[in-house]
Amino acid sequence: MDTGTNTVCTPHFRLLEPNQIERFHHAALRVLEEVGVQVLHKEAVDLLAGHGARVSNGKTVRIPAFLVEDAIASAPSNVLIFDRNGSPAMELGGRRSYFGTGTDLPRTVDLHTREIRDTMEEDIVLSVRISDALPNLDFIGSYGLPRDVPPGLHYIRNAQILMQGSTKPIFFTAESEQDLRVILDMAEALAGGAEALARRPFLINYSEPVSPLTHSEEAVAKLMLCSRNRIPINYTPAMLAGSTGPVTLSGAITVATAEALSGLVIHQLTQKGSPIISGFAATSMDMLKATVSYTSPEFRLTHSACADLFHHYGIPVWGTAGCSDAQYPDLQSGAEYGFTLLNAALDGANLIHDCGYMGQGFVASPEMLVFADEVIAYVKRYMRGFALDPDHLALDVIRNVGPGGHFLGEKHTLDHFRSEHWRPGLFNRENLPNWIQAGKQTLDTRLIDRTREILARHEPCPISDTAREALSRIWDETKARKGDR
Amino acid sequence: MGIMEDIHQAVVDGNVDAASTGVQSALSSKIDADEILNQALIPAMDLVGRKFGDGEYFIPQVLWAAKAMQGGMERLRPHFAEGRETEKGRIIIGTAKGDIHDIGKNLVGMMLEGAGFKIVDLGVDVDSTRFVEAAQAEKGQIIAISALLTTTMPTMEDVVSLVRERGLSTKVMVGGAPLDQAFCDEIGADAYGTDAVDAVRKAREILGV
Repeated sequence: MDTGTNTVCTPHFRLLEPNQIERFHHAALRVLEEVGVQVLHKEAVDLLAGHGARVSNGKTVRIPAFLVEDAIASAPSNVLIFDRNGSPAMELGGRRSYFGTGTDLPRTVDLHTREIRDTMEEDIVLSVRISDALPNLDFIGSYGLPRDVPPGLHYIRNAQILMQGSTKPIFFTAESEQDLRVILDMAEALAGGAEALARRPFLINYSEPVSPLTHSEEAVAKLMLCSRNRIPINYTPAMLAGSTGPVTLSGAITVATAEALSGLVIHQLTQKGSPIISGFAATSMDMLKATVSYTSPEFRLTHSACADLFHHYGIPVWGTAGCSDAQYPDLQSGAEYGFTLLNAALDGANLIHDCGYMGQGFVASPEMLVFADEVIAYVKRYMRGFALDPDHLALDVIRNVGPGGHFLGEKHTLDHFRSEHWRPGLFNRENLPNWIQAGKQTLDTRLIDRTREILARHEPCPISDTAREALSRIWDETKARKGDR
Repeated sequence: MGIMEDIHQAVVDGNVDAASTGVQSALSSKIDADEILNQALIPAMDLVGRKFGDGEYFIPQVLWAAKAMQGGMERLRPHFAEGRETEKGRIIIGTAKGDIHDIGKNLVGMMLEGAGFKIVDLGVDVDSTRFVEAAQAEKGQIIAISALLTTTMPTMEDVVSLVRERGLSTKVMVGGAPLDQAFCDEIGADAYGTDAVDAVRKAREILGV
């Protein structure tokens, strides 16, 4: 018996030492106590004041450490997300990583013309069909802002398309509290009521405070609505180091942590134990172009720090990866997708969204969803590591083959090659003569072909007629109401 | 399932024991050896080849299917009529002089065996004379030479010259990472295989089997 050897070898990565986590935590607590946050929502300000926060000018709230510690303690450390049919789909907690698409892309690389143009409703439909087919995408984001849907109805239309088009969990944005209420009505119609939806939520709202240190009225309204209804919400600030946050990464991490934790306090004071996915984005603003990098090395560093902090807090943590600053699928996007996806998995982030993003979060590309899926498959294999038990150590086989022999014909090879070796679905491993013979196809064209193939072939699990009608009814009512305004 | 289906399945599954005992019991039930070969073993290997081509089967599975096929053939061979040809052709194989990288050669050899060729493996670091003499002694129809190092490629040209010099009908097939069709044409070899699967295809082509 060997009890001293761990028989599975897996990649490990931590950025922060325990004493560094403590340093950041204390610094964030000081920001909340000494500087405070602006809360532009009357009910939330009163709630905070009622629990011991100090309020000045009716909106600047200084939050004592004990309220933060209480919120960290009462927030669930594991959030279960279900699929549309009520089966468990994601267990957001620990270092379990799930991958999915993002939201709100105004432009799209057209799959056929290759032009970058406005995102349309049809693009949302296609993105849902593709994402539904891709085995490594665990959840589906609301993706884009369709130009051909009247303003004010985007989010509701997207939610309807997502609910109809896939059983996978939904990650969605909403314009306002009223929007969110309509989308929850739709979800409740599918789940069989508010109580059933809260018990088996299949959707996660995404909302964010505004850096530095400001919780807008709409963001707080959505935060409180989700909390009251026990609907999971991902509430994370998106800070730009050097403009909306300190230029130094430690400073940015401190302020962003204070923003995330103050959101957590409002959320938990509204309804203790309600599910939340927390964390923060703190990337760098490009000081020459004044653009927001989705993939800067600084962003990856703050992403790792964020994961370490929230793992320490025991609160499910947001992540972002599989995205690119490049406008168009190219070598840059390949490198950025690879680095970010591997990094997010090594960080052990739980809800890793934005897969398929191009153009600094402004441009969608259907084939890059397919590309992200391939890279995620690679990353998953890497993260699985390898076994180190006697069978995998293979001493008997090594002895049997001996010097100068080969392992191709060994039973051991036959038994293990499938589980031990990852096989690419799209990356080229053809040798040169065969590749030339097959027409010298490169990944960019292969991706487009595969994407078209998926769109032609994939049939998502159909939604029931009654469910479809319920969604249509809510959509029609909302459209009529908003149109009247 | 009938006995013939059992044999077919054993080969497809790469189950050497089941293929061997299956053939034995088929012979015991007085099924004709040719029938066993043509209706169970060969169709099974054809199916395995198709599965490999479709990306459903991988190299280790093909090799084990080939082993199962061989297991069955060993039982069958004594039962064939006198002079009955049971092999598709005989191939002398080895790595070129100066090259001891033999995994490519082994892989090609096993794939050829799986396809029904008889393989005479000369191993590694084989000079041109040994290749040609083995072909003469063993009645080899093809000499297959593998090289990984560019410095060992001249051996291939020497083999071609020697075969022509001695007026042999033996074909010369070459393969390996640094090679291409242009090199094959340049030295006057009969075929170049881009990989192990292509090697089997080319061997069939040049022997017309």
